[in-house]
Amino acid sequence: MTKHDQVLVKAQNVKVHFPIHKGILRRQVGSVKAVDGLNFEIRKGETLGLVGESGCGKSTAGRAMLRLYELTEGQLDFEGVDIASLDPKALREIRPRMQMIFQDPQACLNPRMTVGSIIAEPLDEHTNLSTEEKREKVKSLLDAVGMNRDFVNRYPHEFSGGQRQRIGIARALALDPDFIVCDEPIAALDVSIQAQVVNLLQDIQERMGLTYLFISHDLSMVRHIADRVAVMYLGKIVELADKRDLYKTPKHPYTQALLSAVPVPNPEVEAKREHIVLQGDVPSPANPPKGCNFCTRCPVAIDRCRVEEPELRELNKGQFVACHLAE
Amino acid sequence: MRKLKTLIMATAAASTFATVALAERGSDGNLNVAYWQAVSILNPYLSGGTKDIEASSLILDPLANYRPDGSMEPALATEIPTIENGGVSEDLTSITWKLRDDVVWSDGTPFTAADVVFSANYCLDPEGGCNAASNFADVESVEALDDHTVKINFSVAKPFPYGPFVGATAPVIQEAQFKECMGAKAPECTEANFGPIGTGPFVVDEFRANDVVTYKANENYRDPAQPAFATVTLKGGGDSAATTRSVLETGEFDYAWNVQVEPEVLDQMMAAGKGEIISAFGTSVERLMVQLTNPDPSLGDKRATVEGGPHPFLSDINVRKALSMAIDRDILVEVGYGPNGQVTCNVLPAPEIYASTANDACKTQDVEGAKALLDEAGWLPGPDGVREKDGVRLSILYQTSTNSVRQGTQALIKQMWQEIGVETELRNIDAGVFFGGDQSSPDTFQKFFADIEMYTNNFDGTDPEAYMGNWVCSEIPSPKNQWIGNNMPRFCSEEYDALSAEMGQTASIEKRSALAKKMNDMLMQEYVIIPLIHRGRVSAASNTLGNVVLNPWDSELAFAEEWTRVE
Amino acid sequence: MLNYTLRRLLFAIPTLLVISFIIFVILDLAPGDPTGQLPLTIPAEVRAKIRESLGVGEPIHIAYFKWVRGFFVYEPLYWLDQIGITIGDPSERARIISYATRGPVFDLILERIPQTLWVVGLSYVFGILIALPIGVISAYKQYSWFDQLGTFISMVGFSVPTFFTGLLMIVIFSVQLGWFPSVYDTTLDVNSWDTFILQVKQMVMPVAVLALYNASQISRFMRASMLDNLTQDYVRTARAKGMSEKVVVLTHVLRNSLIPVVTVIALGVPTIFSGAIITEQIFRVNGLGQLLIIGIQGSDFPLVQTLTFIFAILIVLFNLIADVIYGILDPRIRYD
Repeated sequence: MTKHDQVLVKAQNVKVHFPIHKGILRRQVGSVKAVDGLNFEIRKGETLGLVGESGCGKSTAGRAMLRLYELTEGQLDFEGVDIASLDPKALREIRPRMQMIFQDPQACLNPRMTVGSIIAEPLDEHTNLSTEEKREKVKSLLDAVGMNRDFVNRYPHEFSGGQRQRIGIARALALDPDFIVCDEPIAALDVSIQAQVVNLLQDIQERMGLTYLFISHDLSMVRHIADRVAVMYLGKIVELADKRDLYKTPKHPYTQALLSAVPVPNPEVEAKREHIVLQGDVPSPANPPKGCNFCTRCPVAIDRCRVEEPELRELNKGQFVACHLAE
Repeated sequence: MRKLKTLIMATAAASTFATVALAERGSDGNLNVAYWQAVSILNPYLSGGTKDIEASSLILDPLANYRPDGSMEPALATEIPTIENGGVSEDLTSITWKLRDDVVWSDGTPFTAADVVFSANYCLDPEGGCNAASNFADVESVEALDDHTVKINFSVAKPFPYGPFVGATAPVIQEAQFKECMGAKAPECTEANFGPIGTGPFVVDEFRANDVVTYKANENYRDPAQPAFATVTLKGGGDSAATTRSVLETGEFDYAWNVQVEPEVLDQMMAAGKGEIISAFGTSVERLMVQLTNPDPSLGDKRATVEGGPHPFLSDINVRKALSMAIDRDILVEVGYGPNGQVTCNVLPAPEIYASTANDACKTQDVEGAKALLDEAGWLPGPDGVREKDGVRLSILYQTSTNSVRQGTQALIKQMWQEIGVETELRNIDAGVFFGGDQSSPDTFQKFFADIEMYTNNFDGTDPEAYMGNWVCSEIPSPKNQWIGNNMPRFCSEEYDALSAEMGQTASIEKRSALAKKMNDMLMQEYVIIPLIHRGRVSAASNTLGNVVLNPWDSELAFAEEWTRVE
Repeated sequence: MLNYTLRRLLFAIPTLLVISFIIFVILDLAPGDPTGQLPLTIPAEVRAKIRESLGVGEPIHIAYFKWVRGFFVYEPLYWLDQIGITIGDPSERARIISYATRGPVFDLILERIPQTLWVVGLSYVFGILIALPIGVISAYKQYSWFDQLGTFISMVGFSVPTFFTGLLMIVIFSVQLGWFPSVYDTTLDVNSWDTFILQVKQMVMPVAVLALYNASQISRFMRASMLDNLTQDYVRTARAKGMSEKVVVLTHVLRNSLIPVVTVIALGVPTIFSGAIITEQIFRVNGLGQLLIIGIQGSDFPLVQTLTFIFAILIVLFNLIADVIYGILDPRIRYD
């Protein structure tokens, strides 16, 4: 697996906090710690799956990777350049190399622009292609995502959800990026379409040598597409490991609980399987618990968990866990 | 005090007049006049609105005008016809006017008796809807004896034959211009109605209906030195406070018509020192009309008619008198009118020779006297303080038109009557409905479906004969005459009718004065009309305007040709 | 779109006829008398004659028929006469005549349109020009001091009545400082630099008062619409594409946010023609609003009927225009 050796993106202690303002004078009274200290690497050509419950901060993390949100703290290296501290101009220059595919293909396309202009807009901004070349490029992109070339002059609302997501992908590919954040790209699609889109993403990855950060709450889909998987809980990564290790021997109690919730297609196994049902709700990210974030719901929590925050430590080769008890 | 002020103003004006009398025509530039009611039309025969009559009085002249002191001054005539000079026939059935022979219309054509005859016929046409028809009441015919003599024949004896062609309501219009506009065709002549050719000091330059009129001096005006102003702008719209401000505070205008501003606001405006308030008292009296017939709705068709029977308690003169005694008129003037009003005890307060002094007791409030009077008459306070007798409570429905000053007065009077144990319910009705002649509306002032109603009335010119004739028996409004009639109290007295008839036959001014006073006193002492306030005309004039005297008897602009610019 | 427009126009005809009849009935039922404002010195018999000569009190169906004939037949024919196309006998044209002025109602209205368009129309244009940037910046920098100030001014502009701001301006700028005239001169003929300056001076205050009012309304719409769009995913897409903030805000967000605002603006156009009754009254601009109020006060039914009906036509028309604009601006809307 030599192709995965080179690190493309490296997040170090990335934090995104959203301030909370209250009162007549709208003073800041606290902050929502949506992403609270992420550390991970994404290697060139691989797909890193990012999973977690709704509200755990995975979408925020994904957007922070492209600096669509300003980081509150931390460093984000893209090929060794810290994009968290780039000025807007330099950032815009690097933008073509990192793109994003969004969850809602309807909302993420400007309703007043034709498909052609949506795809071509970044070309106008970042390349010096002639009109003719641009047109050709747009058409070839449509080909690449399996769409009819003649759809150039249509508006997004004229397409189905799957088609729109293909447009979204074509749009993301327009500038030949290296890194694409896929933010739940299939969550809003029919199940029948989901597989098509995922296969398309894999095809393209192979053809163009792309690196993905694939955000999803669908563990089985992540298992299908990802090379490595990171599990997030309340703004932090609780476990990060090779997909095989993670699914076979999950170390963190939260990962175990998540995986136990995935139904097994065999009814006999399913019936006998032990389900770990978590008690209570996810605490508010504005007011996370002391110690381990998961301690309020953890079935095995000990006193230490409520006082000391566990570090993300490398348990086995390539398997990182943030739990005092994991061995 | 007010009169003194007017006098001082007049003297001041007269002294400036002496220095500028030799001014040339058009030497004083532009005169800016503000009317808060915009002018709709410049033909006074088609609109009786004061604003329209006054705006057209700059263009059209009658045969004679009333001076500010109430005397008549010939305009297009050479002299005022009287019995003494033979102008009025001995039997009082005709009047002969001698016209000036040096007058030309503003278009340069000569003014002749034919124009006067035409003007009369124009107004007398039954289909024309002439607004000045009452000026031509009883006119049988008008004939031109020669080019400069006109004889007006009346069907009855007219002791005061100065209705036609005296004052701005009935001026002379040009036959050549209006001859195609008789009767039903009158409204079709928009061009003529918006720009009549006249003999007055100014001619229309531009007219925007309901907005503004601009005039320029009439090159053919009969006095070569007049008017002093070359142009006049008469701007309409806004409200009285705004027009008054534009004279007194910003100085943008020279003259603001009909000031109706709360006394304290007026004082503030005056402080700017750019202009002066001028006032004059004509014949307008704010009065209470007392309903003598029964307005009970259960009477159906007979409601508020003589047939419906007398009023349950206002038919008692003691109640009526007590109501009058309980009112403090000074407070009403102070709160609502300021320089606009003065206390009066007569329904006929002016001109001087007609004003009675027999009723002046009402000028002081007498609450105790009123109470005693009611006690004596058997109206005793009930458990809730409201007086009653034989199960009839002194509970009054008191109506008037909607207008903030009137509602203020209503509230004050309600309080005053409460003190003597009379309960009052107040009601106000939109002026358009109250004074309108809509037969289907129960709220007109003629139907008077209430116990007391309040409004102002006055009369045109200086002769009170027709006005005092309002309260004869035949003027009582009822369904039989489609509620047309001016005798709102439904007062009916043979003696009064006889006095009225006698006045119609009497030419001597002294005798007429005595008769008018007697009729006034009769109404006052019967307390069928309770006069409250003698209302003046108040206008605002810039300090730079000379020779302005407010004229309560005619158009305020009737003598605008004499106005000048002073520094 | 064309079919849709034509269909809507066709439907508008019966709607408008019904509206005109309703207005007519309401006015007929309303109490009031065109001679009600005349001085009391004019006796009741004379008033009855005047009413008769005006045609007051005709049965409603006859009066309505006459009005409809005047509005839809004689007036158009008259104006055709004026441009040289004569159909039928011009002397037969019974135009709609005002009770108060005895002049044709349409002439009055035409005379009023210039000052109303100048003052009210210009204030609308200024209001929009002020409102759009304020709305955009307020939304883009939500809760910044600019936004707070904008919100405050909008609240003031929207909630303080124009008669108050108008009077305040007169007291400050006319009475105290003497900069601007408090009375609008409708006869001013702009033919030189000096008269142009005069015209500007006399328009400053009424336009400012109305523009503040309009701007506060529209800026709120603009801000709300911008806020709706700023959080949309396509905006994030645009940023992810590496577009500059200028392009993101002005091309992507603003163009989408303008769709509802443009329709609001189009729907507001008829209010320009109905004038600004109070403001016109205060500054004596004497435009269509003042004409209407005088008509109502004087029970000048032909004038009120015609004016309100013209407003009804404009409202129906601009509703259609707003819908069509919406269809043109927003590709998601298709009418056919």
